[in-house]
Amino acid sequence: MGEMVRKASPEEIINHWILAISCLLLIITGYAFLFKLTQIGAVFGGFNGMRVVHNWAGVVFTVSLFATLFNYLHESLTFDADDWTWIKMGGGYLSRSAKKAPPMGKLNTGQKFYYLAVMAAGIAIAASGFGIWLVSGSRMITLVSHLVHNLAFILFVVAVPAHAYMGTLANPGTFRIMVYGTVPIEFARKKYPKWMKEIGKL
Amino acid sequence: MATTTKRKALLISSELCIGCRGCQTACKNWNQLPGQKTTNTGTMQNPPDISATTYNIIRFSEVPSQANAVRWLFVSRMCMHCDDAGCMKICSAPGALYKTEQGAVAFNKDKCTGCKLCVAACPFDVPRYDAQNKIGKCDLCSGRIAEGLSPACAKTCPTGAIKFGDRADLIASAKKSGYGKVYGETDLGGLGAIYAFRDAPRIYGMNESPAIPESVIFWHNVLKPLAIIGLGGVVAGALIHYAAIGPHKDEEVK
Repeated sequence: MGEMVRKASPEEIINHWILAISCLLLIITGYAFLFKLTQIGAVFGGFNGMRVVHNWAGVVFTVSLFATLFNYLHESLTFDADDWTWIKMGGGYLSRSAKKAPPMGKLNTGQKFYYLAVMAAGIAIAASGFGIWLVSGSRMITLVSHLVHNLAFILFVVAVPAHAYMGTLANPGTFRIMVYGTVPIEFARKKYPKWMKEIGKL
Repeated sequence: MATTTKRKALLISSELCIGCRGCQTACKNWNQLPGQKTTNTGTMQNPPDISATTYNIIRFSEVPSQANAVRWLFVSRMCMHCDDAGCMKICSAPGALYKTEQGAVAFNKDKCTGCKLCVAACPFDVPRYDAQNKIGKCDLCSGRIAEGLSPACAKTCPTGAIKFGDRADLIASAKKSGYGKVYGETDLGGLGAIYAFRDAPRIYGMNESPAIPESVIFWHNVLKPLAIIGLGGVVAGALIHYAAIGPHKDEEVK
């Protein structure tokens, strides 16, 4: 494959797997609670067991989510004219061939938006989850938490599968970043020219 | 919601209640619930509220007026057994709360996960949690009524202030006795505990327009379907995209 360039550190890769697995577990158990899916509950030895799994997976998810702040927040909040061009052409990742996309940094515009949306919804779903779990005695807090938890849940069940599809089947060669953290240098030069320039590899 | 002709109810006639609290004792007795340590706060109402081990209480309200300086109202308070019950709507554990054939909202402590969402969704502030974090409330003596017996409170009531029977019959008899409106006849799809009041229900400490919280109704009618449509839409979109357009290719890289 020739020269490789490291895009994700081992810590980032491990944390992303923790985030992904806890998120998937939370979504599955979340659907089971939402629609009282007894077959899924049975996997956890009933709904009492599933509640324990859901709550503690939520703790893991929350810690893992905040750990990502160090890696992606700064980049995700940095926008320039190329991002605007990117938005206007829709990124081009869902088309078959490579359209002429504006040069991107380590994260493209869509990934920045995805990160910010997941972060916002993640904070909302975590805070409201702890609200349902730990706060009792306030009808208001329970009802608001219940509503926010379900609103954020909808964003997750739409955004996460889309993200997974974009990072695997829709864009061959991308999934290896989640496994090895590295990509061929030619691939990186094409996808993230601004970042490659920054680290002097363009 | 299915309203069968067999739907049973309690008719509480406040005017007939003498405040003896036999219903409280009978309820504790039948359901084998321990007594509660309480303190005297200068009111006859004791215990002060329903709890996970006190499924019903007599609420004592003093309502003095110009015409009647000593007006004392007694109302039996317990789970209202709504037809469209907020607790059942929001509950996330199958079988924890369920409707019996007679229309009672019953519970199963083993299935309850202790999330307490039902507390927030109940229009009557009824569900309570015990020391093991499990729900406890009146279940209309569902074991007794399934066998054709009266609930313990109605069975023991010496004055007929708590009557048990077919819901439609009870409503008809209350109206025949001159009560123009029966509290709970239509609220929440019709309550399983209905009240005959001579005066405005609020005087007796009742919520005049009980309803499931708006957010719970919105969640049930909009967010729940959206959770399916959202996921289904993305999965279908991805499949169609993969079949119709296919994966993205960078010719220069491959």
